[in-house]
Amino acid sequence: MFLKFSNISGLICIFCISVVTLMAFYGLIAFNQQGADLALLQDSYFHSILLFSIKQALLSAILSTVFAWPIARALYYCPKLYFKKSFLSLSLLCFVLPTLVLITGFVSLLGRSGIISPFLGEDWNLYGMQGILLAHVYMNLPFAVRAFHNQLQNIPDTSWILARQMKLNRWQKLCVIEWPALRSTISLVFGFITILCFNSFAVVLSLGGGPQSTTLEVAIYQALKYDFNIAEALTLAWTQFFIAGVFFVLLYRSNSVAWLAKDSNKKNSLPQISNTNKAFFTLLYSGAFCFMLLPLLALVPGLIATSYSLKLLANVFEALIMTLVLGSLVASIAMLIAYCIMLPIRSSLEFKKPHIKNTLQWFANHTLIAPAMVLSVGLYILFLPIMDLDALGMIFVVVLNVLMVLPFAIQQIRSRLIQFDHDYLVLSKSLKLSFWKNLSIEWPYIKPAILSTFSLVLLIAMGDVAIFSIFGNDNLKTLPWLIYQYAGSYRINEASFASAVLLGIYFIVLIKIERAQSHA
Amino acid sequence: MLDINQLKINLGQQKLSYHQQINSGDIVTLQGVSGVGKSSLLLCIAGFIKASEGSITWQDIDISKLAVEKRPVAMLFQENNLFEHINVFKNACLGINFTDSASATRTITEAAEKLQIADQLTKMPTQLSGGQRQRVGLLRTLLRPEPIILLDEPFAELDSYTRSIAANWVASIAKSENKTLLLVTHQVEDVETLADHNWLMT
Repeated sequence: MFLKFSNISGLICIFCISVVTLMAFYGLIAFNQQGADLALLQDSYFHSILLFSIKQALLSAILSTVFAWPIARALYYCPKLYFKKSFLSLSLLCFVLPTLVLITGFVSLLGRSGIISPFLGEDWNLYGMQGILLAHVYMNLPFAVRAFHNQLQNIPDTSWILARQMKLNRWQKLCVIEWPALRSTISLVFGFITILCFNSFAVVLSLGGGPQSTTLEVAIYQALKYDFNIAEALTLAWTQFFIAGVFFVLLYRSNSVAWLAKDSNKKNSLPQISNTNKAFFTLLYSGAFCFMLLPLLALVPGLIATSYSLKLLANVFEALIMTLVLGSLVASIAMLIAYCIMLPIRSSLEFKKPHIKNTLQWFANHTLIAPAMVLSVGLYILFLPIMDLDALGMIFVVVLNVLMVLPFAIQQIRSRLIQFDHDYLVLSKSLKLSFWKNLSIEWPYIKPAILSTFSLVLLIAMGDVAIFSIFGNDNLKTLPWLIYQYAGSYRINEASFASAVLLGIYFIVLIKIERAQSHA
Repeated sequence: MLDINQLKINLGQQKLSYHQQINSGDIVTLQGVSGVGKSSLLLCIAGFIKASEGSITWQDIDISKLAVEKRPVAMLFQENNLFEHINVFKNACLGINFTDSASATRTITEAAEKLQIADQLTKMPTQLSGGQRQRVGLLRTLLRPEPIILLDEPFAELDSYTRSIAANWVASIAKSENKTLLLVTHQVEDVETLADHNWLMT
């Protein structure tokens, strides 16, 4: 029963994405028949980048998680905060914001001639560990806030009523009600952010300051791009793959993080908080709001100073269309594959085969730990002698972006599909529904999750720079790539304008996501 | 004939045994104290629980090794019989092969009128009371084409008046369509209204 047609389609998808990864590594290994440079493992340079990669990832995760908790509490305990809905939407925007837009904002704000740099003292430097941490916290803290807030929202009213009736003090409420609700999510969020930051590329490339602030991912890029040292790149890639894999295995033993869910469950019996606490929470909330808004508002001076020529508008418009077409294509394919991949995973749950389920999930999500740069370069080297990559490069842009966004797509739809099976699998089987009939029943149930995940995946795909930098075509450039080119040639005003346009698109898609969620 | 032959089910520490023959077209009520294994037997016949020993044959064909989807069985569970996100009418149509939408509307509406839930068809399941939900599930299960019908406490949430209407409707459909029906109940009046035989489990 496990090997039915629908499951086979999922197994074929998993096989195909695994083959792409294998081909990429084969491309690197087979090049000049060079193996990995094992002597590098003894090198102090290797030790320093390894240490820095882990240190920045752990620090980013600790800071994001620690600061997110009180902010999530503020949102939960003060449900009538002004612009709370906008705050939650902005949180989502921060998480999916294209890195180059954020970097442009940060440079305008905190760079050498930034708007608020003079107030930060002479020692301030955006580049290096502090800049990397700031950017990572900016992108991941809002994600953690949403996840924790969502979890707090799930505390049933009856728990608070009971706590009041039993006259629990504040500490007891924290230990008995709040902490158990958050405990598992805190470790999950922490692990997830650690992986994301460990694999972070564009932030470290832009804000890293020399060899002292380099991560494995950037070192791989530098080894390939500047030194063309395949052996070194391979050693670094395997190290990255191994460490991220350990984080990933630890993380995937648990459930996915619910953070994209709607702001639900209107609370009627929240515990009363003192005025001092209310003031503290409001202050904290306002501070977080400013932190998230400032880098975006920092684009405004550039917008005002831009001289809007027809050429600029045409360039931005063309790049925008390209971005939307590529993003939509990637998101559609990724959603289809994610759904197919979930079929055998759901069956393995149905037939109570946890080992098969875990193996399938690992293979399906392995691209979360396979560096995008390694996959891109490996395939580039493999296919360069065989085909015209200038003409066909866009196919690789699509394929690799699909691989990169797939783990997000799977993670977001997984819980909804498993919930459907949990609620209705026995009923569906009892009614002997065909695959298509079952799909038609399933669709209204999963539609909100599918639409919001599609939008999320679309946003992530639209922000890609790393893969486009290898396979992209200057005649068909995307908006992030255009921003990179403007910023690279010090045309910060034009970069700000292009960033603002991209930001506008992201904002529109985010509103759609929130609407889809509210209909869930 | 439905032949339950030396059937054994292991539920953790509990071992349940069954042996019974039921004639085609008969209505059999199952009674016994809670935990004796009435629901487990129905779930086993439907294919949701595996038997450790014995067999279940229908018209001399062993169905105990068949997948749920292949068994000639329609079952009404104690609860969770409706998809909450689609309306009552669509729920009622599932698992029944109608030739066209007009015949679906006609058949479902007629049955719903008899069960006094015709005015609930356009609603969502969450808008229904427990008794109304049970009658929607009952309607669908009886209208399905399978020859064996298993009903797990189908009237549990009904008042005595509605219970009598529903029981009479079940009996009339079962007899007119020649269904073989097994029904779990704790009520003596269900046995009196419906049963050709009562299987008292101990």
